[in-house]
Amino acid sequence: MKKRCGVFILFLLIPAVTLGGTLLFPARQYAWISLCVALLSCLPFFLTFERGEGAPARLILLSSLTALSVLGRIVFTPLPGFKPVTATVVLVALTFGGEAGFLTGSLSALISNFWFGQGPWTPFQMFSWGMVGWLAGRLSFPLKKSRILLSLYGAFAGVLYSAVMDVWTVLWADGAFNLSRYGAALLSALSFTALYAVSNVIFLLALGKPVGGILERVKVKCGL
Amino acid sequence: MEILRVENLSFRYPGAPREALRKIDLAVGAGEFILLCGPSGCGKTTLLRLLKKELSPVGEKSGEIFFEGMEQKTLSEPGDIGFVRQDPESQIVTDKVWHELAFGLENMGLPQGVIRRRVGETASFFGLQGLFRQRTDTLSGGQKQLLNLASVLVMQPKLLLLDEPTGQLDPIAASEFLSTLQKLNRELGLTVLLAEHCLEEVFPMADRVLVLEDGALLAEGEPREIGPALSEIRRDHPMLRALPSAVRIQLSLGGEGVCPLTVREGRDFLERNFPDAREEEDKEKDEGKPTPSEDGEVAAEMKNVFFRYERDGEDVLRGLSLSVKSGEILCLLGGNGAGKSTALNLFAGLERAYRGKVLVGGKPVSSYRGGSLYRGNLALLPQNPQTVFVASTVRGDLAEMLQTMNFTKEEEKKRLEEISRSMGIDRLLDRHPYDLSGGEMQKCALAKALLSEPKLLLLDEPTKGLDAFAKEELRALLVSLKEKGMTAVLVTHDAAFAAEVADRCAFLFDGEILSVDSPRNFFSENSFYTTAANRMARGILRRAVTCEQVISGCRRAVEKRGKSERFSDNGGFAPQETEEREASKAYGGEGGSE
Amino acid sequence: MRGNAGRENAFSRLHPAVLMTFFLSELLLTVFLPHPVLQAEALVGGLLFCLLLWGGEFLRELGFYLPLFVLVALTNPLFSHNGVTPLFFLNGNPVTWEALLYGIFLAVSVTGVLFWCKAYSRVMTSDKFLYLFGKVAPRLSLVLSVALRFLPAYLAQSKRVERAQKGVGLYAGESFTDRIKNRLRVFVAMVSWSTENAMEVSASMKGRGYGKKGRTNFSLFKFTSADGVFLALILSLTALTLCGAAAGMKNFAFYPRVSRVELSPVSFAACLSFGLQSLLPALWEGKERILWKYYVSKI
Repeated sequence: MKKRCGVFILFLLIPAVTLGGTLLFPARQYAWISLCVALLSCLPFFLTFERGEGAPARLILLSSLTALSVLGRIVFTPLPGFKPVTATVVLVALTFGGEAGFLTGSLSALISNFWFGQGPWTPFQMFSWGMVGWLAGRLSFPLKKSRILLSLYGAFAGVLYSAVMDVWTVLWADGAFNLSRYGAALLSALSFTALYAVSNVIFLLALGKPVGGILERVKVKCGL
Repeated sequence: MEILRVENLSFRYPGAPREALRKIDLAVGAGEFILLCGPSGCGKTTLLRLLKKELSPVGEKSGEIFFEGMEQKTLSEPGDIGFVRQDPESQIVTDKVWHELAFGLENMGLPQGVIRRRVGETASFFGLQGLFRQRTDTLSGGQKQLLNLASVLVMQPKLLLLDEPTGQLDPIAASEFLSTLQKLNRELGLTVLLAEHCLEEVFPMADRVLVLEDGALLAEGEPREIGPALSEIRRDHPMLRALPSAVRIQLSLGGEGVCPLTVREGRDFLERNFPDAREEEDKEKDEGKPTPSEDGEVAAEMKNVFFRYERDGEDVLRGLSLSVKSGEILCLLGGNGAGKSTALNLFAGLERAYRGKVLVGGKPVSSYRGGSLYRGNLALLPQNPQTVFVASTVRGDLAEMLQTMNFTKEEEKKRLEEISRSMGIDRLLDRHPYDLSGGEMQKCALAKALLSEPKLLLLDEPTKGLDAFAKEELRALLVSLKEKGMTAVLVTHDAAFAAEVADRCAFLFDGEILSVDSPRNFFSENSFYTTAANRMARGILRRAVTCEQVISGCRRAVEKRGKSERFSDNGGFAPQETEEREASKAYGGEGGSE
Repeated sequence: MRGNAGRENAFSRLHPAVLMTFFLSELLLTVFLPHPVLQAEALVGGLLFCLLLWGGEFLRELGFYLPLFVLVALTNPLFSHNGVTPLFFLNGNPVTWEALLYGIFLAVSVTGVLFWCKAYSRVMTSDKFLYLFGKVAPRLSLVLSVALRFLPAYLAQSKRVERAQKGVGLYAGESFTDRIKNRLRVFVAMVSWSTENAMEVSASMKGRGYGKKGRTNFSLFKFTSADGVFLALILSLTALTLCGAAAGMKNFAFYPRVSRVELSPVSFAACLSFGLQSLLPALWEGKERILWKYYVSKI
């Protein structure tokens, strides 16, 4: 049932919204359609979580990890782009699985924007950080084994995040997806993309051992 | 009617070599106020948690627990037994006061209208209506703990379990909390089972006291019976030190008659039996402790310091001047928000004064660059020693500290061994800092601070949450550090501790120092802000501020009486015991029949 | 933005469901009806409301929005060369009148949405959001609300840890790398502390019966007659705008030629009703303030 619901959203609802959107609102409404798509793609994860069983300890732990990654974003505010959020989300996913990773990532985006300001970018951030977490959970076996792969994943996550957010920038400012504009946006954000990638690698290397260790300890301690 | 019965309860944590609880039998009547005490690690917390099904720790359990005649397994209403723990912060679940109050009722599935009424009623009973819409993180520690109590009581429990609920509160908040508790017990007939280690105030409130030691029930009875019972077991039982001053003084002076519990009863006892102790006062003028001379070397100094946290805020310090002499222990006392901790932070360079001078070792604090202030000069231990630890073992934390000191590997190892031996923390090195008891944690934090070889030690509320035994250990440590030449400034609310450890005490009020003096002068001049022992003995021994001083004052009176009457020569007794016998005679003789 | 959360305004006191309906309607209409008049109305309404919410503080912030506005308005004509009325040529490409107008239109739309988002952040505080959300998704909303409760506590604790470390002489250096290292170390310590703390909190939840079936949601929000009036207003205005848009409004095009703004009664009605809707919060706020002045004068 849970699965079917997710499949339903992924394969029916999203295309329907896209198609309906383009038909109903010709021209420049891609921005809003893409926004709906971003929101909808978060839904299956939220639904599974809502339906699932879990001890209070697990829920509170998720809250705590989410608050922690937001804390990271706030504490490192003076350094633009240099944030431990992605690293935290990845490490959570490696220990507690992809679902936890997705939730930590997407809820961190939602909550930190209560701080930094909500906007149409919120769903995109929720989706990007969530997916970074979910993917890390899927790839946890190799990522746990090798620090090199983990660093590579960090760099990849930085690029992915930047690329997704740039899609949004272009759609938002332009109404339609324009490849040359997208290229220009990517190029102008290149320094940021590089910063994301590098900072992710740094944070993953610096936090990987200690934080991973603490999370494992907690996992064992409360029998999750 | 019996509300709770425990039969032959034993418990062992997984992997632990010995049992945490051994064969506990306990019956609690409805409406009783029961005090559970014992040194830290005696099993108080384990026992309390086992009594609440939802919080039972994992481990081997044997024996039975009945609540209202039902076996614990069959209980289904978590609201029937309320539980309040020590740390006010970590019990709050939601972000608004009203929501926190409603949380338990939401879990019970009550409808909106019922919740509204109960929440409102509870908030007004606990005086929380002014805070009702506030965010929980804006509350003070005392308010938080009161909120925790209220949010448990809103579920209308029949039994309330409290695990050292005042451990993290200042004396005024603690007192308020305890009187609320007493009101709940007296006026609503709520059954209370309270574990505490600070007994001065709570001891007289209890109907019955249980003393635990090493997981077994050591003594049980009415508060007045506990002191005599403990001293029966062992004359110098360590638990005796934790009892209220009145009990300790009476026991040391013979211990016959009805045991006094409160300051008033203690004073009656002293005035009835030792009216002649008054004369001894002059003899005691010369202090036992050497005070550094007025013109001694100055370790740190503040001159006319003004400080505020925000530009448009209120001044926290208004022209504070204070000098700390080399080699002394100076205690800073004062109410909440008087600026005590702020003063420490200014010395430690964590805050900057906007006017006036702050000097450490003769140089302005701001002239120390790149952390040189913290190398061989001073160290500050904050209120919560937990914040000192960042590694996953105590050893890790100490090692990290040593690495910054540029020692060779061997030197590092040597220093680590030295410090752990001198602080008595050898067996704690490989533990996780958060798993330590309050006293152990304080010692380890002190060890970490001492590694940078400070000359001046700044301690913010070092006795918070410590039991009598740990306090005594800390006192001994501080005194031995002083002997090695350390200067220390302590911020504390604990008048009794300050009276015992300090060379000088300073009273901070409204951002200024009102008085600085030796503890005996300081406390005997105060009438509110003084030790329980002093308040008790004030009529006869005005300048006695610690229990020991009161006791020795009274003993001297007895000695004098003995000399003037007769002094039989029984060499078989140790001198101290002779004194005590004499003292008891005196009490028996003059106390009349009670 | 958060610092102001304590000062509650009249509009914020409306029921969360009403507020949510308003913001959803306003934002969705702005976004899905690409008509210059409607966009302009949304911008003006948002601007006025923000001014009432923040006062002078917001005027200063306009210093950020103005350049953004110009940037969005000007980049379009530089990249897009559609349109039939060239103004001048840049690197051999025409910069057209239509593209410039379209750029301004985009800028109006973008800043309008930003203003409303800003107002949303201020008005729909997390507790209101969670109140609405809690009924649909209780578990998720619990995770969210506890995380929101943890955050200030974590911030305070991380500050305490940082100071404690400095006080014993660790990471007291002032160099850039020292400060980064310091923050990282404190962050790791926070992971350890926060997970420990989380276990305590979950014990407190269990102790108060969390996890039983049939949990209810309590809130202080009451649906008053004022809420009813406001909700009815929003719904009817939205319906009117939608009807007008469906019946009368042609798609407004910028390329190849800018369409004319029609003046048919239906489209006029749509513009009027949407304009009124956009001004509603500012009007409501103004009305309540005047009332308040009046009440105060009687004290």
